[in-house]
Amino acid sequence: MHLHSFVTQFWPSTVDGVTLGSIYALFALGYTLVYGVLKLINFAHSEVFMVGTMSAMWIMHFLNISAIQSGFALVGALLLAALFSMGGSAATALALERVAYRPLRRRGASRLAALISAIGASFVLQQVFEVYYSNQYSNFPRLFKHSTLFNIGSAQITTDRVLIVVAAVVMMVALERTVALTKLGRGIRAVAQDPETATLMGVNIDRTIMYTFLLGGIMAGVAAVLWNVRFEQTRFDIGFLPGIKAFTAAVLGGIGNIRGALLGGLIIGLLELYGASVFGSQWRDTTVFVVLVLVLLFRPSGLLGESLARARA
Amino acid sequence: MLLEVDDVHVFYGAVEALKGISLQVAKGEIVALIGANGAGKTTTLKMISGVRPVKTGKVRFDGQDITHMPGHKRVDLGLCQAPEGRGIFPGMTVVENLEMGAFNRKGSLTEDFDRVYDLFPRLAERRKQVGGTMSGGEQQMLAIGRALMARPEVLLLDEPSMGLAPKLVSQIFSIIRQINAQGTTVLLVEQNAVQALTLAHRAYVLEIGKIVRSAPAADLLADDSVRAAYLGGDLGASA
Amino acid sequence: MKKSRPAVMKAAAVVGVAALGLGACGSSKSSNTGSSATTASGGGGSSTSAVKIGFFGALSGANAALGINILNGEKLAISQYMAGHPKVAVTVDSFDSQGDPSQANNGAQKLIGDKVVAVVGPAFSGESKAANPYFAQAGIPHITASATNVALAQSGDKFFYRGLADDSAQGPGDANYLVKTLGAKTIAVIDDKSSYGQGLADYVRSQIKTDGATDVVDDHVDPNGQDYSSTVNKIVAAKPAAVFYGGYYDAAGRLIKQLKDKGYTGAFMSGDGSEDPHFITDAGATAAEGAYLSCACEDTSAAPSAATFNTAYQAAYGTPPAIYSGEGYDVTNFLLAAIKAGNTTPSAINNYLKTNSWTGITKTLKFQSDGDLVGGTVYVYQVKNGKITQIGTTPS
Repeated sequence: MHLHSFVTQFWPSTVDGVTLGSIYALFALGYTLVYGVLKLINFAHSEVFMVGTMSAMWIMHFLNISAIQSGFALVGALLLAALFSMGGSAATALALERVAYRPLRRRGASRLAALISAIGASFVLQQVFEVYYSNQYSNFPRLFKHSTLFNIGSAQITTDRVLIVVAAVVMMVALERTVALTKLGRGIRAVAQDPETATLMGVNIDRTIMYTFLLGGIMAGVAAVLWNVRFEQTRFDIGFLPGIKAFTAAVLGGIGNIRGALLGGLIIGLLELYGASVFGSQWRDTTVFVVLVLVLLFRPSGLLGESLARARA
Repeated sequence: MLLEVDDVHVFYGAVEALKGISLQVAKGEIVALIGANGAGKTTTLKMISGVRPVKTGKVRFDGQDITHMPGHKRVDLGLCQAPEGRGIFPGMTVVENLEMGAFNRKGSLTEDFDRVYDLFPRLAERRKQVGGTMSGGEQQMLAIGRALMARPEVLLLDEPSMGLAPKLVSQIFSIIRQINAQGTTVLLVEQNAVQALTLAHRAYVLEIGKIVRSAPAADLLADDSVRAAYLGGDLGASA
Repeated sequence: MKKSRPAVMKAAAVVGVAALGLGACGSSKSSNTGSSATTASGGGGSSTSAVKIGFFGALSGANAALGINILNGEKLAISQYMAGHPKVAVTVDSFDSQGDPSQANNGAQKLIGDKVVAVVGPAFSGESKAANPYFAQAGIPHITASATNVALAQSGDKFFYRGLADDSAQGPGDANYLVKTLGAKTIAVIDDKSSYGQGLADYVRSQIKTDGATDVVDDHVDPNGQDYSSTVNKIVAAKPAAVFYGGYYDAAGRLIKQLKDKGYTGAFMSGDGSEDPHFITDAGATAAEGAYLSCACEDTSAAPSAATFNTAYQAAYGTPPAIYSGEGYDVTNFLLAAIKAGNTTPSAINNYLKTNSWTGITKTLKFQSDGDLVGGTVYVYQVKNGKITQIGTTPS
């Protein structure tokens, strides 16, 4: 126990935790949305994220963007990275739905079969990238200087952190509003709450499921490009660890619950950093999972409890 | 005929739930489907709505073969159902639930909201309430109101009286009559055979996946064997 | 002990397959002469005979580059020896372990079955642990050119030799370098909790105390993780003069990069696990610049004693010698010296190794009774202008 270091590192830990947590939160939305609608853990979602990081990195390498940009060039490069990341992730999510899930759903296969299918798809995607791209880390260029804007306590608030947290929050709010207010969102919620009645109301379930994967993929794509901005490297297995954390965040917040994903993501990010500063960095993951188990003992359905089925998103 | 079901067989796995059902519903009618538990009444309605696949046989709506049309498309044709157990979306408000009924419709819904609130003033008071927290009667009103939002040609009602207090049952049935009077054809499934036969113009009696009688409702109501089998022998039994 | 060098993986795999093919041909051809050699050696020294020297290491898979470097050194030594038309012909019998300890049993049985008189390898510590007992039981001397785990010399294996300093020399050497050469009084020691990384870091931790410096931060990172900010925050708050990292290059690259991003300006040092060009690509050239790396291996390209070797190696393989090529060359030459002196059985070679020494291009090989090197130099490298450059040795 190093309570002293917890105190001295409180603000840097908080800033790093919020940064990491907001990426987890975006990532977690994919798990939560798909679970909400299909009652299925999309274990290949970590690869949806991985393909996003790869796509953003690829377009930078392809266009030979490797240095600090400014002005329109910077905005353009960031948007391009984001577009490719979202496109790559969304396409992967849609492909997964079509290839790994829909055929099983059509045949009325069990959830267990879908889970195995997801794990299989996850391995296939990883190995395709390992064999045909590289088994080494590839770098994502630093597009802008990570300069300090202001300080909170001993923590420096740098431009990259601000970009990550603001972008994550904007995307989460946008998604939340989409699900709450649009016809698409009503369809998603209807299918989540009662798929058969949704059909009786004229909701096309297949299309709604597709849109759900699409939205989850887009969010994972944003998470992926922000991850690239933060850590600046990616590899075929990059999705694994953050994927587990994001899934944990979704469960902690209440799987199927959009606000739960945000809350869960931030809590996991902060817990990792606080746990590491109190117990040492080798305990950061342990801290997270101990807290998860404790929360689930007392609130089996997660902090915000309800699923998408119940939540007034 | 507006709706025709012709020798339809439906299976759950290896179990044959409908063993060659045929029925017709003409425009403007109220038709009731009565029978014991497990006779296949709900399966028949779900089959008509396209959420139970037809193995053999035909379903026609307004002359068009819809046997294998996906369920969600049948709503656009004019078939809408208030399902068994009401199927209220528990996390949505009254307004959102009603909007679900008009999911594929374009244009203003003001008129339709007015009509539903007019039929069910109770719903107007509870616009913002979440469906999952409403009473059984309110949920039933909401389910019927929601189905009306689709402006159906044929309204399919599955057990609208289930679990409701007798006073509420007669209120619901009088509203169904009112809806029919406004021009909507109704196909009704009921265990409460007395109420159903009192309301309906014609009725079919189902027994283990087969239609065993088909007659004007009044004739069935007067038939001793039907009374013995489905009406508990006593007209006031359900009350 | 290196983990992987997959930049050259594809090329390595191709070369590895080729080497395997060659090895297989060589062994099948020489098996007849090999058996005749054993009988001939009993009969007297005048008749020409042949023996096989084994090779055990990864020639394919993610970690193949290292094995290929060693095998190339071994082959070069043997071809130079054969060019002198010696009385006893020597061939190479190689086994591709893919760096996988579960292959060790097969590999040991194959080489023992092929009646090799000595083995260069195994290359990695993990597979050494698994394969060494078989060689010891068969009485076949085995010299590793690269496995640095300390415990390998402590199993009572009378046929084990190590052609380079082990981790117990590297760790203290690194600590001495940080404290004595760089003058660091406060040091953060981080590791990845692997047996290699933590083992090395623990040697550093205890030696810096002996040297009078303080271990101000002790922390462990997850080598598969990306976010090292908790460790970085601790280091930045403690402001040490130097950071030592025990682990492999990927995590080392991330750590130095995230340290520099948070304004850390002190020295950074890591062991041979990080001595790889990927350390620089992972960290980014700016962050990696100036970092110190250590290795018990010598960069022969800078050594005057190795000029001939460098030229010959380049001519034979079309690439300059790389990590552990020189060590592979030296240990093979020691074995060849034994054979030249008339020792053509495993036990005779084993006795020769125990009682003689060999001055090679990287060092003088002389073994203690446990098979570890007498002396043993740890070399210090630094990232200069984006290149890993040898700058000296660690002080004792």
